[in-house]
Amino acid sequence: MTFTGKLQSLFAAAIVALGLSAAPATAHHSFAMFDQKRTLVLEGTVTQFQWTNPHVWIEMQVADPSGNSAKWGVECTSVNILKRQGWHHDSLHPGDRVKLVLRPLRDGSHGGQLAKLLEINGQPADLVSYH
Amino acid sequence: MRTIPRKPPHPVRDARRDPAWGLRALRFLALALVVLCGQTLLGQALADQPRAGPGQNAVSTNALYADPRQPDISGLWLVTGFFTLSPDRTLPSLKPPYDALYAKRMKAFNAGAPIDDVTANCLPPGMPHIMVVPYPFEIVQTPGRVLLLFEYAGQLRRIYLDGRHPTDDDDPTYYGFSTGHWEGSTLVVQTSRIRADTQDDFSGLPHSDALVITERVRRIDHDTLEDQMTLTDPKAYARPFTVIRRYRLHPTWTIGEYVCEENNRNASGANGVTGFGVPPPPKR
Repeated sequence: MTFTGKLQSLFAAAIVALGLSAAPATAHHSFAMFDQKRTLVLEGTVTQFQWTNPHVWIEMQVADPSGNSAKWGVECTSVNILKRQGWHHDSLHPGDRVKLVLRPLRDGSHGGQLAKLLEINGQPADLVSYH
Repeated sequence: MRTIPRKPPHPVRDARRDPAWGLRALRFLALALVVLCGQTLLGQALADQPRAGPGQNAVSTNALYADPRQPDISGLWLVTGFFTLSPDRTLPSLKPPYDALYAKRMKAFNAGAPIDDVTANCLPPGMPHIMVVPYPFEIVQTPGRVLLLFEYAGQLRRIYLDGRHPTDDDDPTYYGFSTGHWEGSTLVVQTSRIRADTQDDFSGLPHSDALVITERVRRIDHDTLEDQMTLTDPKAYARPFTVIRRYRLHPTWTIGEYVCEENNRNASGANGVTGFGVPPPPKR
């Protein structure tokens, strides 16, 4: 009984700490590796837009304040869910300048889970990636 | 002997005297009426369907994949509520060693390095996990089967309605062996022979090969389906565990293709931890 109580707490802790709510989300493995408690705004240039399952990926070059350029990988949800959010296979192209909000990788490396695409080439985009 | 030739019947004057003519006229009128009514009804039914919005395909009517001899549970359904097995996140009472196994998975999850996720390598979620993934599925009813066609990784559940039961030749599978029958407007399904290496949901909730799932599926109202699932696992759970899931109808949606192996960049490494951004396998 005690162990069951402990399990419930562990489980509850996971749900709370990862900021998971009843919002639609993928029953997915990978969101545990992203910091669900904070977001990062990233600006950069798209090098690849992988319109694929199980995840759509935005590969981009991001310049840091000192002018160095780094490669970032942004994981979106599936093609199926993105389409229902208004995305298309050609929503992004290599060379597009984008501004987006993501939940960064907890280990600090250059990657994250897309929350929302804010701008494409200076124009408001307002495309979400429900995960 | 001379025969007196009969005069041909006059179309109007002799109509009353020629039952065949009257019957033909009636039949023609009846047919015309049926065709007209049918067209009107179908037109009305289609007109009553919600209009497809942008990014949505042509409207479909449930009558196209239901079986008129069964209560209609056909259509495109999407689970509502949180995507753990139980929407209020309660857990079954796990017996050793399943409790320790789950604790180990939760610890890794909390540390941001989830382990043991079969779906990270594109293996199927299986039963009961597939019933709570946030992707729609299509229920198709035929006299001998109820089929659930899932958008998630193109998975399929086949529920036999002909009373057959698994035999010793039926190996454990990801989705088990499902046999169902109707009790009034409730479809009662029994699923057994489920592989032990699948999980109940994304959190890694385990079960044993002794798991049997009994579902009571019914349509609460036009837009709501309810599945009351009872998990009985004498090896892993101290007592049967019941969850109630509801699904919402999406009449304008269509099922999209989802091939997990297309570009999987989350494959787990040798340590069993889900990966991120791994390069996809080389193109052949």
